[in-house]
Amino acid sequence: MPDYVHPELLVSTEWVAEHLSDPTVRIVESDEDRALYTQGHIPSAVEIDWAVDLQNQTERDYIDRAAFEKLCSERGISNDTTVVFYGDKNNWWACYAFWVFKLYGHTNCRVMNGGRKRWELDGRQWSTERVSYPHSHYTAQEQDGSIRALRDEVLKHQKAGKQLLDVRSPEEYRGERMHMPDYPNEGAIRGGHIPGAVNVPWPMNCNDDGTFKSAKELEKLYIKDLKMKRRSPTIAYCRIGERSSLTWFVLRYLLGFGNVKNYDGSWLEWGNCVRVPIAKGAEPGGPAAAAGSSSPAVHA
Amino acid sequence: MESIQQRLDELIGEFADLDAREKLELLVDFAHGLPPLSAEYEARKAVEDRRVHECQTAVFLWTEGTADAARLVAEVAAEAPTVKGFVAILADAINGRPVADVAAISDDMLERMGLADVLGILRTRGLRAIVARVKRGFANHASAAR
Repeated sequence: MPDYVHPELLVSTEWVAEHLSDPTVRIVESDEDRALYTQGHIPSAVEIDWAVDLQNQTERDYIDRAAFEKLCSERGISNDTTVVFYGDKNNWWACYAFWVFKLYGHTNCRVMNGGRKRWELDGRQWSTERVSYPHSHYTAQEQDGSIRALRDEVLKHQKAGKQLLDVRSPEEYRGERMHMPDYPNEGAIRGGHIPGAVNVPWPMNCNDDGTFKSAKELEKLYIKDLKMKRRSPTIAYCRIGERSSLTWFVLRYLLGFGNVKNYDGSWLEWGNCVRVPIAKGAEPGGPAAAAGSSSPAVHA
Repeated sequence: MESIQQRLDELIGEFADLDAREKLELLVDFAHGLPPLSAEYEARKAVEDRRVHECQTAVFLWTEGTADAARLVAEVAAEAPTVKGFVAILADAINGRPVADVAAISDDMLERMGLADVLGILRTRGLRAIVARVKRGFANHASAAR
């Protein structure tokens, strides 16, 4: 049975339970609902919230390098600390935080397979104690552009017909799910997907207990069925780059894709841009489809 | 009896003075205080369309009662303590007070509680959507009763 390409990046709840007081390890919880951490977290774990801690509150961007260094220092994370991420919802925000740590060049990052759900299912203990550590010294790297795609690059990538992955729900992909009265979260003006993108909803990466599917199942999904190539440049996106960080983790580390980026601007940017191509419906569309038809191609 | 807004002002005041961690702890306390659905509402949940579809979280709301005594009944998934706590705060302020007061619930309550900064923009919008939904529910309930 094939194993993941980088199995060492996943740790079990058992491993975490054995390393709760290991000074070289810092356990970090990142959740969709941040009150979950308050309600009960893994003993000795600190919280990093995606919205408040990782996002720049003025510009639409991640925190800058100095703010990232401060964030790590305040949580007692040093450059050589092994940081283990976990959270709710199949670890999607945990993967988001993992990705930001990789963006700033942190070397030793892990994900606790199964997240909060697996910890609960394994009958392990929760804590409501406040956790703090002495401040550490941390020096971040410049942002690693090899894992982050910005809009102009996505546009070039799309025009070239390269691998694009839309990890949202089929309804969002087809452009049907736009009428959300009272809930402006999905604040895009247009619905649909980036032409050429194939749709693999992110929950397909995970089992019911929150753990990742086996290497064999993931290979079947992406490589056998969708004919994606490990060596081709790939960009994944969703609504704000959160669900796609999980897919990015799967492609990059579990399946060993050599060049995969997360487009964090995602649909909240693309669906609001002027003159970018959009496809509706269940078919990817895109340059490959347009080349074979008599209808004029869409130009951005 | 105090109005809904007066009761909300008291609750908002309780939150306003706390630091971020304390605010979240108080929110979790409210979440724990939201009673489970009674057998009657459990039965109704199965046959009525009460799910707030705009929410990613499983939220079921009933906006009913008499003109003098509004009743907000809700069920929120346990894995969403922020939403659950917030709905519990609304229920605390609304229940047993005049339906006509609901419309006056101010839209800036999350800012005044200091929760907007603790939760971030997207989550704050989600909670505001619940306020809008509750207000709309009671407005429809009042006009249907007229």
